[in-house]
Amino acid sequence: MSPVPDAVRIDRVRRFVEAVARGGRDRPRHLAAIARETGLSLEGVELALSRYLEADAGGDEIGRLMERAGRAPAVLVILSANVFTGALRALALACACAPEVVVRPSRRESTFARALVEAADDAALRLAADVDVGGWPRGEVHVYGRDETLSVLRRRAATGVVVRGYGSGISVGVVSPGADLAEAARGFAEDVVVFDQRGCLSPRIGLVQGGEDRTRAFGEELHAALERAAASTPRGVLADDERSLARRYEETVGFAGCLWSAPDHIVGAARIGSPLLLPPTGRHVHLAACSDVEAMRGLLAPFESQLVALGSDDPGRYAVLAHRARLSRLGEMQRPPLDGPVDLRG
Amino acid sequence: MTGAVPESEALHARARAFVDAFERGTAMPEPFDVLAVDLARFQAAHVEGYARLLAARGVNVQALRRASDAPAVPTDAFKLARVATFDPSLAAVVFRTSGTTLGARGSHEMRTTATYDAAALALGRWALAVAGQSPASVLVLAPSAEEAPDSSLSHMFALFARAFGGGEAAGPSPFFVKAGDLRADELRVRIGALAPARPALVLGTSFAFVHLLEALNDAELPLPPGSRVVHTGGFKGRAREVEPDALRAAVARAFAVDPRAVVAEYGMTELSSQFYEATLVDASAGHGTFVEPPWARVVPLDPETLAPVEEGETGIARIEDLMNVDSAFAVLAADRVRRVEGGFELLGRAPGAPPRGCSIALDELLGREGS
Repeated sequence: MSPVPDAVRIDRVRRFVEAVARGGRDRPRHLAAIARETGLSLEGVELALSRYLEADAGGDEIGRLMERAGRAPAVLVILSANVFTGALRALALACACAPEVVVRPSRRESTFARALVEAADDAALRLAADVDVGGWPRGEVHVYGRDETLSVLRRRAATGVVVRGYGSGISVGVVSPGADLAEAARGFAEDVVVFDQRGCLSPRIGLVQGGEDRTRAFGEELHAALERAAASTPRGVLADDERSLARRYEETVGFAGCLWSAPDHIVGAARIGSPLLLPPTGRHVHLAACSDVEAMRGLLAPFESQLVALGSDDPGRYAVLAHRARLSRLGEMQRPPLDGPVDLRG
Repeated sequence: MTGAVPESEALHARARAFVDAFERGTAMPEPFDVLAVDLARFQAAHVEGYARLLAARGVNVQALRRASDAPAVPTDAFKLARVATFDPSLAAVVFRTSGTTLGARGSHEMRTTATYDAAALALGRWALAVAGQSPASVLVLAPSAEEAPDSSLSHMFALFARAFGGGEAAGPSPFFVKAGDLRADELRVRIGALAPARPALVLGTSFAFVHLLEALNDAELPLPPGSRVVHTGGFKGRAREVEPDALRAAVARAFAVDPRAVVAEYGMTELSSQFYEATLVDASAGHGTFVEPPWARVVPLDPETLAPVEEGETGIARIEDLMNVDSAFAVLAADRVRRVEGGFELLGRAPGAPPRGCSIALDELLGREGS
């Protein structure tokens, strides 16, 4: 079989994205089902669909996606349940990679994936809820999920099938010495609030260049910004585990540093020199004061292999910390227009 | 903070009085809660973080009457902050947790190990049924305290080797993990040379026994009659897990000992007390039930409200430890527990909590996890 020309592949991805954009106008039909499946509030689902669905990707973004897509005769996409709009990027990547795409949605969260496939109206893009990885005969399997899931599926894949895994990751927001703290906090809060922080692009750690006083001042601003955000986009329902871990984090930081707590979030800051503590998902941020970039590098070292995104009011200044992670401005960490797979760690 | 030392010494003496009474078989010198509340006040006065935690919970420590009303310090706090009533220059020893994949290790500083040692020995003597016995041949599947000076487990095993082995300071080393290697061949030779009339006491982490069993490849290393085996630490959260029943059966078979002589211990760096299965000393005791000494208690809490759960329900462990004089008398662990007749059951790590423990540290040291 001769390879599909690039122009045809690009056109297919473009048509897919445009179809999804048109389908977005039909979103009230799916809001309640998505909220029920994801645990997000209705406002949270609406926010995700209206501002974070990457259906406005242009030619450049699609071009970059094509560069990263590779080529395969067929792709099986296995979706996770963390960030429902991520299905768009996953399917666009698969369509860029292979003429035949089969999608296995998350058992917990299938409405949006079904809506995407329906909107695409592409005969070579279909859903299969019970397809088994071990029985997938050729091409690639793209897996989005927990690292443990990726390991299991890699072991089960048939010989010759390439498994590309996009696992869990950690994101960090960095506040520069010159930052307007209120402005930085507003952007930071936007990145935290969407998807209730369940996606790997949501920062759960904030590094503030400066001393403890500046970090506390930023903590106050972030607390206020998260409270304002919760007024318009309330947090959804947290799972039992998430609530338990949040309580534990609250007790830990209550002992070890200072704490700003509200019904829909916790912001904590440990004393300077303390190691980083990763708070649980659910709109919780752990702050650390850092004297300089070197101090940040030291704090981030244990997380380096898991870092997938770094946002800052001054991204260029901290590019050295990003390694292979996405680098963006605060407030835009969750908006990578079809930026290929988020997890670029290989 | 050196001004706190006389008060600390007095509290240590009161804590050790519990241990003395246990060893003598007499009544405890004072109610548990009286000493616990005094420890809470002492720690609130000298540990800044604990004072903050009390304030956040709205607890007036001076009006405190019951230990259960005082908050417990989460084990994660030992990673982020110093949990000690004394100046760092007074620390006699710093025990560190094994850490996690995200690196941070918790520290438990002790100004003196006298109280820790007294409690560990007293409970070990009881649970391992060594009181009144002639010295045992002690064999340890862990690094020595010299090789792992920040390991509380190595400290305790070294203590046991000296106390229960008859003070064999000049004899061969009882430690069979050296420079990251489990010396199975050396152990085989040593066991082959044991006097048949002298029981052995084998101490190690659960993973060390797994590695040993792999190295033995179904061969047996029969121990002298009356020998006992203690394993500690679990497997939860690791790629390779071994069911406790399966491990016990395999260890009993390999060493040719009664399965009831294979005893599990539960402890952690942040504590000064341990808990054992009582199968060696109580004919009615079963495996899987850990017994508390009179100076410690384990209360399952609802992980969200931190209130005690109903009897028989599972919760996360709040551990009150009267031997933790200079750190935190109440520690909030990330282990799930359930109260049962005679003690508590350990049901693994709370969801989302990273795996940890000396057993896992040793597994990483031995370098074959997940292979």
